[in-house]
Amino acid sequence: MALRLGPLKIPWPRTESRDDDPYWDFFINRLPADLANSVTELIRNAPEGNVFPTKADLHTPEITSGHVKELARYLGADLVGIARLSSDDEEGYPFAVICAVRADYDPRQAAGIGGQVPVQNGLFITFVLSAWIRELGFRAAASSHPNAEALAAAAGLGALNPNGRLVTPKYGTRVHVADVIRTDLALAADG
Amino acid sequence: MAVTLEKTTKPLNGNQPRAGVPPPPYLGRSVRIVGPVANVDMNQSPHPKNQRGELGKALFNWYRNTISRDPLTRVSAPNHFADRRHFLTTVINQASKGKVNSKQVPVTDPAAMTRHIKAVARYMGADVVAIAKAHPSFLYAGSRYVQDGTAADEHEHRSPEELVQKFPYIIVTTTAWDYDKLQAHRHFIGDAAYHVSQMKGVLILKALEGYVKELGYTALRGVVTPQAAGVASGVGELGRNGLVINKAFGARIHMPDPIMTDLPLVPDEPVDIGVEDFCKICRKCAVNCPTNSITFGDKVVFNGIEKYKINWLTCYKLRPYTHEHWVSCLSCATVCPFTKPNVWWRSLAVWALSTCPIPARPALVHALKAIDDRFWGVVSQKRVRWLGYDSGIKPGEHACTVAGCTAAHGPDSAKVAGDIGYYAPLKENTNRFVKRGV
Repeated sequence: MALRLGPLKIPWPRTESRDDDPYWDFFINRLPADLANSVTELIRNAPEGNVFPTKADLHTPEITSGHVKELARYLGADLVGIARLSSDDEEGYPFAVICAVRADYDPRQAAGIGGQVPVQNGLFITFVLSAWIRELGFRAAASSHPNAEALAAAAGLGALNPNGRLVTPKYGTRVHVADVIRTDLALAADG
Repeated sequence: MAVTLEKTTKPLNGNQPRAGVPPPPYLGRSVRIVGPVANVDMNQSPHPKNQRGELGKALFNWYRNTISRDPLTRVSAPNHFADRRHFLTTVINQASKGKVNSKQVPVTDPAAMTRHIKAVARYMGADVVAIAKAHPSFLYAGSRYVQDGTAADEHEHRSPEELVQKFPYIIVTTTAWDYDKLQAHRHFIGDAAYHVSQMKGVLILKALEGYVKELGYTALRGVVTPQAAGVASGVGELGRNGLVINKAFGARIHMPDPIMTDLPLVPDEPVDIGVEDFCKICRKCAVNCPTNSITFGDKVVFNGIEKYKINWLTCYKLRPYTHEHWVSCLSCATVCPFTKPNVWWRSLAVWALSTCPIPARPALVHALKAIDDRFWGVVSQKRVRWLGYDSGIKPGEHACTVAGCTAAHGPDSAKVAGDIGYYAPLKENTNRFVKRGV
């Protein structure tokens, strides 16, 4: 919202107030009556595409990591990091790309379409980013991961608090860790 | 002076206005409805025509049978993919439709609901959101238009007039393209600005459609012409380049499929931001168009609507020739003087133009255009480097300009210096599309 000073509109960053909005709580908290109305469900259920048969020319792992992070930020990720996976990953993926988005409401508690907006943004990033890696000719799988927050901490996005929640320097705990993209693209791990 | 063009398709309502048709809506100064309007059949629009092979083999093959050499294009453009499943819009459009919630949320104050819907769209990441009052002439004729999916809904048999009575509001929500990447238009970097924000816009609209249904109201897709709704809702004015030009973003906004709904809302009004006065004088898009598809002349009356008319066929026919270098040309949007970063000096210029009395505007437009030509150039050629792409490199030239790259690129790799983007010299190549002396 811009502060209006006479005819001159001076852009003044101000957080939008939700107090006078009688429908905001419905938006954030009411579980959809039909889950087909939720975009997150349909992206989650989408099948994974094929790996492009020709591998793209790549630069050094450091530069490739830079490109992956740049693209993730462009797609809307607020935080992005790369972690090395332990060798006991059952499909043999060496690296994980972890993206996180700011979440004003915890998506684990706010079940409404509004509460799930960070999940929706996260799925947009991980869907396009993993598809891009497959189009580069490398394997990549985006899926929700039981230890996503621990991996995010390992990728240098923040630290874990005693409850196992990720705490980041910029957003605190108000952050949603999106699906983890496991890949065999040659990357340089952070953290 | 407006000239009337021939129109081959017969107006649906003959030459007489049908009973029950509301009077033509006011669409601002840039577009005027002057005669009977035949509703546009989307099956006669460029992409469906091409999908049926009616635009010739080269275009058909370009659309259906080519795979882009660029990985990012293969995941973000509506064609040229190697695997359709990598394109998010396909996933979203092919998803099954959700049901309208039977427990309707009562709306006592439409103004509060309008504020809420706008806040919701912005919260989901939309850059522009506005409400239009529906009019039968905004609607498509024939079936629904939803690419790669079905839009079966129980209102499909209804006439435009019935639909407008039943669903009087249109929610127009859109996303803006990234300004810095757009500077490398006619390049895969500019494509990324265009295609990625389009995917995001489709996602936001799908989520908003679901939310309107959860509120207990119907949300119809594939019914409304986005440009008509965009102009009517005050998203912007229609420019010479045939694009809706917005106050804050200029021509760099998408016009994806809006939502037609019976949710009680308060519609917005058309705006006057001076596009009408600017386009009369500027012609920058017409100069820059590689196919001369944008008119240098005056407005014409086409299908009962007075507006600047572009030649869509010559615009479309460029595409197979540039397939190796880019997908979406975007020149007319990039060079438009309204397409600028959304910052204070831009707001100041638009404010000055829109508050200036109309008779005094031409002088101001000449001044603003001189400033634009001086600082942004008559032809936009900025070099952009992003994600390993570099718009300063001539296509086919072997050069690596990635900072810190130690890869061996071979002895023939060239050194590229300077800050000027390289564009394939298209003006000479593509004049073959233009009929002269007509």
